[in-house]
Amino acid sequence: MQTTFKEENNDYVMYFEGRLDTAVAPKVEQETAVLKECDGHNIILDCSKMEYISSSGLRIFLSILKTAKPKGSRVFIRGINDDLRQVFAMTGFTNLFEFK
Amino acid sequence: MIYQLNPHNEELLEAFQQKLDIYYQLAERISGQLNTVLRSQGIALNTVEKRVKALGSLKGKLELKGDKYKTLEDITDLVGIRVITFYNDDVDKVAAIVNQLYDVDWSNSIDKRKAHEFNSFGYNSLHYVCRLHKSERPEYLQVPFEIQMRTTLQHAWSAIEHDLGYKSSIKLPFEYRRQFSRLAGLLELADEEFSRLRTTMTEYRRHLQGLVSSGRLEEVPLTEESFRSFLELKPFDRLNRRIAKVNQAEIVSAPLMSLFPILEDFGFQTLADVQHFIDDNTGDAYRLALGQLAITDIDILSEMVGPQNLCMVYSLKKGEGEEGVRHIYDRLYGPVADNTLLAKSIIDQASTMSFVPRQ
Repeated sequence: MQTTFKEENNDYVMYFEGRLDTAVAPKVEQETAVLKECDGHNIILDCSKMEYISSSGLRIFLSILKTAKPKGSRVFIRGINDDLRQVFAMTGFTNLFEFK
Repeated sequence: MIYQLNPHNEELLEAFQQKLDIYYQLAERISGQLNTVLRSQGIALNTVEKRVKALGSLKGKLELKGDKYKTLEDITDLVGIRVITFYNDDVDKVAAIVNQLYDVDWSNSIDKRKAHEFNSFGYNSLHYVCRLHKSERPEYLQVPFEIQMRTTLQHAWSAIEHDLGYKSSIKLPFEYRRQFSRLAGLLELADEEFSRLRTTMTEYRRHLQGLVSSGRLEEVPLTEESFRSFLELKPFDRLNRRIAKVNQAEIVSAPLMSLFPILEDFGFQTLADVQHFIDDNTGDAYRLALGQLAITDIDILSEMVGPQNLCMVYSLKKGEGEEGVRHIYDRLYGPVADNTLLAKSIIDQASTMSFVPRQ
């Protein structure tokens, strides 16, 4: 799993590439810590190249959301494929996030 | 405009300009503090405004009554805050909190609401001149500031009066003054009625909450408000816990109010209808969720998982098929093309289940 952080049009964008599973979750958690400094910036989690997400991945996304909301930042998920959308839907996670 | 100021007043003006930064910082600090404290006390605020006296306005004031002021601190409205509430009951609550937060200079404070005779109507507002109790910035302690507290309607009257120049030098004929006064009376009455309405609605809400908690759900119409109270009873918890057991999953909270429009679409009239909907469909909703989750190792679910499966089961039992399921997703997630795909997947899952009517 590769992550890349970019600031685009005043948004904090984190690109995910590959499988976000339990094995890589601690590394990804560290790499996404930068999003916790999001004051005033919306966050986009770009999943266009994400192939798989496990429960650990969902927990990371949830933790980003829980940090961002009190700071007035919105969290968007962008470009998820059909399999990932299925996971979000069956877990009831879809309406926790906003999708682009 | 050219103002004629004596040397003392010119000095005051210069001192004012040197302290402008302090005034702006103080205005920011007080308005921020009031916004936070008042909202945390549950007071419905329209807005909290702040301003530092404009230079022209101060010049005018000094020209007119400059002899009154020995120092800048004698001018009590250099920093002004205005708290505008929705309800007149709240003006007194705001005043009580202001009294706790700051030192109120009673000799310069005025309750304009009480300044009218019983048979006259006009400007209604409560003005307190205050100082900070304490501050890490000693220069703040020197500066008095005025807090005006009024309702939205009182503010509207005052703003329109100002706009129409009622206070200008032209003496208005009796008829026009009476029109202003009449409008002030009308708004005072409206303020009272809004407060009364709020009290009535609060009592009604309490009554409904009482019915919900005592289980008399058939007497409670399904509304956003009543559904919110119903959710406090955690009506979907049992189903969610049952689903979660499949993978020993953790359940995280989720906003469930987005279910309300779906329940309305189903035509439910009372909370009893919603309770029947849960009771009658829980088993099938569990089986539908099981079909999706059992083949995964997902061990985190949101509270929405149970209710969304209940909705799908109900819709499928009514024979609404893919269209019905997609409509539920549209309601929950907004109408996006991917919902068709999700709906197809549910139809596949449910196709072998006994509750789905055979075509």
